[in-house]
Amino acid sequence: MPEITYREAVRDALARALRQDESVFIMGEDIAEMGGSMAVTQGLLEEFGPKRIRNTPISEMAIVGSGIGAAIQGMRPVVEIMYEDFLTLSMEQLVNQAAKHRTMSGGQVKVPLTIRTQGGAGWSPGAQHAQQLEAWFVHVPGLKVVFAATPEDVRGLLWSAIYDDNPVVFFEHRTLYPIKGEVPVELEPIPLGKARVHREGEDVTVVATGRLVHEALEAATSAESEGISVEVVDPRTLLPLDEETIVSSVRKTTRCVTAHEAVTRGGFGAELAAVIQHAAFDWLDAPIERVGAKFSPLPFAPAMEQWVVPHAEDVLEAIRRTVARS
Amino acid sequence: MATEVKLPRLGQGMESGTIVRWLKAEGEAVAKGEPLYELDTDKVTQEVEAETAGVLLKIVVEDGEVDVGETVAVIGAQDEDVSEILAGAQGGNGGAPAPAPEAPATDAGAKEPPDSERQSSIEDTAATVTAQSPGRAGERVKASPLARRIARERGVDLASVSGTGPEGRVIAEDVETAASLPPAAAATAAAAPPSPPAGEAEVVELTSTRRTIARRLTEAWEAPVFQLSVTADASRLVATREQLVELLREGEVKPTVNDVLTRLVAAALMRHRPVNAHFTDGKVLRFPSANVGIAVAAPSGLVVPVIRDADRKSVLEIAAGRSDLVTRARAGKLQLADLENGTFTVSNLGMYGIEQFIAVLNPPQVAILAVGSIEDRAVVVEGQLAVAPTMTMTLTCDHRAIDGSEGAEFLRTVKAFVESPALAL
Amino acid sequence: MATVEEKAGSGGGRVSEEVLRGFFREMLLVRRFEEKVEERFRAGELPGFLHVAIGQEAVATGVCSALRREDVIASTHRAHGHTIAKGTPIDRIMAELYGKVEGCSGGYGGSMHLYDLEVGNLGANAVVAGGLPAIVGAALAFQMRGEMRVAVAFFGDGATNAGTFHESLNLAQLWKVPAIFVLENNGWAESTPAVQQLPLPVEELGKRAAAYGMKLIEADGQDVEAVYLAALAARDHALAGKGPVLLHLRTYRLTGHYVGDPQVYRDRDALKEERETKDPLRLLGARLELTDEEFASIDAEVTAEVEASVEFARAGTDPSPEDALKYVYA
Repeated sequence: MPEITYREAVRDALARALRQDESVFIMGEDIAEMGGSMAVTQGLLEEFGPKRIRNTPISEMAIVGSGIGAAIQGMRPVVEIMYEDFLTLSMEQLVNQAAKHRTMSGGQVKVPLTIRTQGGAGWSPGAQHAQQLEAWFVHVPGLKVVFAATPEDVRGLLWSAIYDDNPVVFFEHRTLYPIKGEVPVELEPIPLGKARVHREGEDVTVVATGRLVHEALEAATSAESEGISVEVVDPRTLLPLDEETIVSSVRKTTRCVTAHEAVTRGGFGAELAAVIQHAAFDWLDAPIERVGAKFSPLPFAPAMEQWVVPHAEDVLEAIRRTVARS
Repeated sequence: MATEVKLPRLGQGMESGTIVRWLKAEGEAVAKGEPLYELDTDKVTQEVEAETAGVLLKIVVEDGEVDVGETVAVIGAQDEDVSEILAGAQGGNGGAPAPAPEAPATDAGAKEPPDSERQSSIEDTAATVTAQSPGRAGERVKASPLARRIARERGVDLASVSGTGPEGRVIAEDVETAASLPPAAAATAAAAPPSPPAGEAEVVELTSTRRTIARRLTEAWEAPVFQLSVTADASRLVATREQLVELLREGEVKPTVNDVLTRLVAAALMRHRPVNAHFTDGKVLRFPSANVGIAVAAPSGLVVPVIRDADRKSVLEIAAGRSDLVTRARAGKLQLADLENGTFTVSNLGMYGIEQFIAVLNPPQVAILAVGSIEDRAVVVEGQLAVAPTMTMTLTCDHRAIDGSEGAEFLRTVKAFVESPALAL
Repeated sequence: MATVEEKAGSGGGRVSEEVLRGFFREMLLVRRFEEKVEERFRAGELPGFLHVAIGQEAVATGVCSALRREDVIASTHRAHGHTIAKGTPIDRIMAELYGKVEGCSGGYGGSMHLYDLEVGNLGANAVVAGGLPAIVGAALAFQMRGEMRVAVAFFGDGATNAGTFHESLNLAQLWKVPAIFVLENNGWAESTPAVQQLPLPVEELGKRAAAYGMKLIEADGQDVEAVYLAALAARDHALAGKGPVLLHLRTYRLTGHYVGDPQVYRDRDALKEERETKDPLRLLGARLELTDEEFASIDAEVTAEVEASVEFARAGTDPSPEDALKYVYA
C-alpha cells in the first residue's frame, strides 16, 4: 500500500471526486493559485481550471451560503473555510440554513454540501487561528460532523462526505497534515458514522478525536509498560455517532477516558460521557475522565500554549486515574 | 418513631433462633441493612441486618434462644422514650407480635414501605445518624456502578468491602474478591454464574431459602473436596423396584428407584461410618444411624429434607416418608425439623437425564452422592458385549474428614448393593 | 399564476389590458388570501405567527410574472404573495399555515418557510437576508452548467444592512452570476423606520448597487406593470451574462409587521393616506377602469377560491408527531 501524507490524502480525495464528477467543485479563500493556506489544494487549479477551483473573497457567509444554493441545485460543492475559527462567521448559514432546509421544506430539499476546515494548536497561532469548535456543530440537527485523524481515514471519509446528501462539516487538524500513513491503492470510502478501534485493550477505553488519537495511542503504549491495557477508539464521525462501538468497548473495559484538543468544558467529551454513562452505567468501574484543553483562549507564548492544550502525558494521567494508580 | 426489632423468620420452618452476640451496642447508630446481631439457627449462623435505621436504643434480648416474632431490640431516634414499647413487647412475649399503637411492627413478613417513603426515611435517618456519629454509619458507600451491579447480583454487602479504586471507591474487582462465589453449584441445579452482561438483566431478589443456599454452599466451597465416580449395573435395582411396585397394597406409596437407592445407601453408610459424619469445629462426629437427606427442588429453591433412620426403614417406609416430605417441600410447608440432623445427602438428577455430575458438599456433612440417570449402555458381561441399564454415581468427600480410600470403599459397597440389592439385607 | 410567457424576455413596451387584468386577479387573490389568513389567525385557528404583505402585491405578481417556471426564488418571512405568484396552489399554502401534511412544506415549515421546489420556490427564509447567499449559489450552478435560468432573491430594505446582503451582492457581481436581487423597499425594518436604519434617503437605497458595480434597475413597486417590465429587463440582463441586477422597488406595507402588530410606531394619518393613495389594487383598478360589477365578479371568484382553500386546509391531515424526525437527514 502506498504511503502518503494526510495533506496528500485530502487532496487525493478531492482530485478523484473532481475527476469523476462534474458536479463537484471547490471554493474558498486562497485555494486556487496559492493552493490553500495549508497547501492542501495545490495543483488542483492546474488540473481542473478556475471554473471548478474557485478563489473567493473573504466572505465566509457567502462562501457557505452560495455552497448551499449550488448544492440545492444539484451540485456537490466542497467549500473550504480556511480556519475553523472563521466558521463562526458562517454560523448563520450553516446552522439556520444548511442544517434546516431539508426539514423546513418537508423533505423537498437536499443540501449535499461539504465544508472543509482545519484548526489546532501547536505552532503558536494565538487565540483566533487554533480553536477546536467541533462540538458546536454536533449540537445542530441536520448537520453531519467528521473529524479524521489519519491519512487513510481522511481520504475515505472526505469522499463519503462529498457524496453524502447532507451538509457535512469536515474537520482537519493542522498538525496532522505532514503525518504519513498507508492508504489503499484505490480509494475506499469510509462510511460516515463508523468508529475505528485503533488498538484493542482490556482495562480502559480512550475515546479520542483528531490529534488526540495520536496522543492517546502514545499514552496507551506507555500505559502498557505499566501493566494497563488500553483500547483506543476514534469515532471519526462525531455526528452521527457510532455509539455501538464506543459503548461496547467501554462495557468491555469498564473504564473510559475521552480526549480531544478542544476545551474540556462543553466539549465533545461531555457528550461522549453522557452517552456512555447512560448506556454503560452498570459496567462502569470508575468515573469517566475527560481530557481536553484548559478553559482559556489559546495564549500565544509557546510555554503557555503547550500548557493549555492536552498531550499524551495528560491522557496517560487520566488513564491512571481510572485505574486508581498515579 | 421507635421501631421494635423482632426476630425474623429467616427460612422455612424456622420458629426460633439463638442470638449469639450483638454487633452494635446500645446508643450506637445503625443504618438500614447494617449487620445488627449474629443469630444461630441449627442450619446456620448468620448476621441479621437492621431493617430500619436510627439509634439502637435498647437491646431486649442480650443472648439466648428467642422465638420468631419476639422483640429483641428497639431502634429509634436518639433519647426517645421506649418504655411504652417495651411494656407492649413484654406483653406480646411468646411470638405473637403485640400491636404497639405508636410503633407499627416491622417483622420480616411486613410489607416494604413504598419507595418514596423509604427514600425519605433513609434521608431522615442519614441526617440523624450524621448528627449522632459523624463519619460512621449511614454514609453512602463509594462504589462504581459496575461494583454495585455485581454486589446486587451476588448479594454482597458493599459496606463490608474495602475499596481499592479511585478515591477508595469499591470497584468490581473488590466485590469479586469479597464474594469469591463459585461458578455453577451442581447440587443446587440452579445458581448460574454471573455471565458476561448481554442486554438488560432481570434482577431477581433472593428468597431467604436462596440466601441460605448461597451462603451455605459458599461455605461448602471452602472445604477441600475430592470426587470419586463409579458406574453400576442398575438392572437389579430397577427389578427390585418393579417387584416392590407389583406387591404394592392399597394405600401404600409407590416406591421410586431413588427410594430403593436411599435404602441401599443407608445400609452402606452403616458399614462405612466415616462417611456418615459431620465435620464441625475441627471435629468429626460419626453417627450411629443414617439420616439421609434428599435434595428436592422446591419453588423457593433447593431444600434437603431428611429421611431419618433410613438404615432401619423398609423401602416402602422410605417411600412414604419421601412422598410426605416432597409434597410439603413443594407446598412450602416443611418444618425446620424436617431439615435437621441429616448425616448424608443423595442428590439425584437422573430424572432430568443428567448422566453424571458433581454435587457440592452439604456441610457439616462430610459427603454427598450425586446420582445420574439410568441409561441402557453397552457393557461387557463375561467377555461379551451386552446392553444393560447402568447408572453413574459420584461421591463428593470432605477431605478434612475422609480419605480417598474410605470414600472408595463406601462407593464400592454402594455399587455392590445397587448391583445386588439383596446384599444390603 | 399570471405568467406571460410571450412577453418574457421582450423588455419594454406596454403590457396588454388582458395581461393586466390577469395581474389584477392574482393580486386580489393574494390580498383576499392574506385577509383571510389574518382573520383565521385572530380567530385562533392558525398556530405560530404571521406576516402579511398587504400593499406589496404588485411586487410579487410583477416580478414572478416575468420569471419562468425553471427560474428559482428565495422568499422572506413575508412570503404568501411570492409563493402564490410563483405558482403554488393556495390550497397547499393554506394547508401549510394550518400545519397539515397537505401543506406545501408538509407542515414542517409554516408561514415563514413556504417551499415548493417543483415551481422553483427554494423557500421562504425567516432570517432577514438569510436567503441571499443561496441564491448566489443557485445562480452559480446555472452558470456553471450553462442553463438559461435566473435565481431571484426577495428581501426588504432592512436586509440591506445585513452582512449577507453585502457578501452576496459582492460575490454575485464578482462572478457575474445570473441572479436578481429584488429589494422590496417598504421603508420599515419591522418597526424601525428608514431614517433610523438607513444612511441613505429611503428613495435612494438603490445606490448600494454602485458599491459592487452592479446593474441597478428601479421601478415603482406599486405599479405592477412597471415592476413586470423592470423584472423582464433584469432577467434579460442577467441571462445575457452581464451579471446580476439589483431590482429596487419602492413599495408600501399597508399593515403592521406581523398580524396583530398594534403599530404604535406608525403615524395613523400617514398610514391612512398611504392606504388611499398607494394601494396597488386601487391603482390598477383605476387604470383598468374596472366597473363595480367587474370588480365584484372577480372578487367573488377569488374569495370563493380562498374559502375553498380554508376548507381544504381544515380537512387536511395532522402529521404524526414522530414524523418530526423524518427529514432531519437525507
